[in-house]
Amino acid sequence: MALTDTRPESAEASAVAPALAPSPITIFGTGDHKAIGTVYVVAALLFGVAGWVVNALVSLHAVGDGSFLSADAFQTMFTLDRLGLILLVAVPLFLGLATYVVPLQVGAATVAFPRAAAAALWGWLLSSGVLIVANCIDGGLDGARPKAVALGLLALGGLVTSLLLGTVSVLTTAIALRTPGLSLGRVPMFTWSSLVGGAVWMLTLPALVAAVLLAWVDQRYGTGDSFGAGAQWKMVGWVAATPQIYAVLIPGLGLALDAVATLVGVRLPLRGVVQFAIGAFGVLSVGVFAQSLFYADYTDQALWIVMSLAIVVPVLLVLAALGTLFKAGRPRLASPLGLAVVGLLLTLLGAVAGALMVFSPLELLDNGVFAAGQFNLVLAAAVTFAAAGVMYWGPKITGRTPVDAAGKLAVLLFLAGGALAGLPMCVLGFATKFTGLADANDALMWLSGIGAVVLALGALVVLAGLLSGARKGAPEAGADPWGTGQTLEWACPSPPPTGNFGTLAVVRSPEPLLDEEA
Amino acid sequence: MAAHVLPPAPPVQRPRVLMVATAFASAAVVMVFITLLGIYLNERATVLDAGSKWLPEGATIPLQQPNTIFITLLMSVISIAWAANAISKNDRVNAYLALGLTLMLGFASIVMTTYLWTLMKLDIEGGVQGVLIYTITGAHIVMLVVAMVFVALMSIRALGGQFNSRERDGIGAAALFWYSMVAVYALIWIIIYVTK
Repeated sequence: MALTDTRPESAEASAVAPALAPSPITIFGTGDHKAIGTVYVVAALLFGVAGWVVNALVSLHAVGDGSFLSADAFQTMFTLDRLGLILLVAVPLFLGLATYVVPLQVGAATVAFPRAAAAALWGWLLSSGVLIVANCIDGGLDGARPKAVALGLLALGGLVTSLLLGTVSVLTTAIALRTPGLSLGRVPMFTWSSLVGGAVWMLTLPALVAAVLLAWVDQRYGTGDSFGAGAQWKMVGWVAATPQIYAVLIPGLGLALDAVATLVGVRLPLRGVVQFAIGAFGVLSVGVFAQSLFYADYTDQALWIVMSLAIVVPVLLVLAALGTLFKAGRPRLASPLGLAVVGLLLTLLGAVAGALMVFSPLELLDNGVFAAGQFNLVLAAAVTFAAAGVMYWGPKITGRTPVDAAGKLAVLLFLAGGALAGLPMCVLGFATKFTGLADANDALMWLSGIGAVVLALGALVVLAGLLSGARKGAPEAGADPWGTGQTLEWACPSPPPTGNFGTLAVVRSPEPLLDEEA
Repeated sequence: MAAHVLPPAPPVQRPRVLMVATAFASAAVVMVFITLLGIYLNERATVLDAGSKWLPEGATIPLQQPNTIFITLLMSVISIAWAANAISKNDRVNAYLALGLTLMLGFASIVMTTYLWTLMKLDIEGGVQGVLIYTITGAHIVMLVVAMVFVALMSIRALGGQFNSRERDGIGAAALFWYSMVAVYALIWIIIYVTK
């Protein structure tokens, strides 16, 4: 049977609620978007723990005389850390949440092309494993063992292709499977930001595939001199640099607004402006042109300068919307609210840091430390947003109320970890202008490393928080555990049965559940 | 904890899921080629600016075979449009004929491309030119094969009785991907073969 053979809307509803967690055996063959999304989230959180530990090791290498790691090991860990935190952690976390939640938010029975979504999940997991193994045998980007490097490149290409396949499923769901009455102007903000983010990924990540393909052909069939060692990171490093790095954040903006609107208990005002802001954020994060191997002076280009500066504006607009929500409603101090606010603050810090890099007299691009700090801020923001999503939709996923204390601890960990992992490096970036700062190098890098470890702990705590909802004796969540749900995912049981809604729901506003109560 | 009961909605009317997904996939694939061709142009400009010739000594790129491939693919655009049009009019015989012809023209393009590779005398180990040209043209062959598999799959489903004037998304989606593939070849033809 082909991947395209079953029309998603033909999936029949089941009166029987599924088990809280599918068994490992049934997961392998499932096309259920809830199981697929859950596996994405759990695996990406585990990768997140490892990824932030690697990030800490990379930071600690800069302490002292830089002999903590060998040159080869540092190169491998540096490139794996950068790509891993994006492609093994941040993007899959959002993709997993989107695979789970977007069909529910748009009132669909399932995700479009469920078997393609499943193939994407397993392709991503397999490729991730091979990529990690290749890096372990010196086959990272610019690595020393050609055959291992070719293997690593192949895995990287497969990994990105899998993520793109999963993104197609989510995008198609958001475009083509919306329930009647749910126009694009009415979709929940997480669906809207997933649509924007997914579209940006679809247009930019193929450029990464192209670069990896060239490097792989050269490594496998050529001499390895054209796009081989020394050139590979320059070909793909744009993914981890301004402005493309912001692309991993896009779904988080909408996620934060959805969670805050629910927990504050009021409708999101000025939806059009907020949708425009998220769209503008997406457009301004298209950084496929910023490839240092081919355009060494891209940081002097007006386009890069304008994009780096302008990206702050949509972030401020989203923060303004958040402020309006707080002013209009009565915030409930639940962990998703705290995580959403922390995520937005880290996003603002990352965007401001990116804007500062434009000012050439500050010489912030000279030593790479400032850019590394900005990378940490942005990735910490992305993971914090995802953590907010996990705690917000956790009751929907497990069917039971998780321990919110874990989420509240995660708020502190992500706030402290994000700030510590990024800000000391940003401060150190000014060392070229303020020579005294160089003396504080070791202390600042230690702080950054500790921040990364705290972030790893945060990911672990969020995972524990999610799993706490599956424990025996946990109170049942019901369809709308927050009691103030506004969007369609809170209209179906927790966890949703096969087919989600049975019959599709009809909506008449962006907050259909509030209409119903009125 | 609250329970919500919403009124049932009518069934979704023909959500064009395959068409939408194919549009996204086509955009992604086109972006791969735009990136590859951008790198090609950049590398070529670097070599030419240094006062050297782009193609290495002994290598040659004839124009006759690329022209033939391009004409063949343009004909396939007509044939796949013919198939989509025929299925929209419930004309199954013409649809089968057009789908078969499209596959045949696609196969002919693959044969001609591999023949062109033998004529070029371009060594992939000879430098950046070989890596770029073989990667781009090879990736296009892969795209062509994927398009052919897509068309073949939809042909089999059409032979099985699926698709009619109301439900023709499968053929339409295959046609969309095919058009993208030919558009990509048009870029390759101009950038690699004509302006070499």
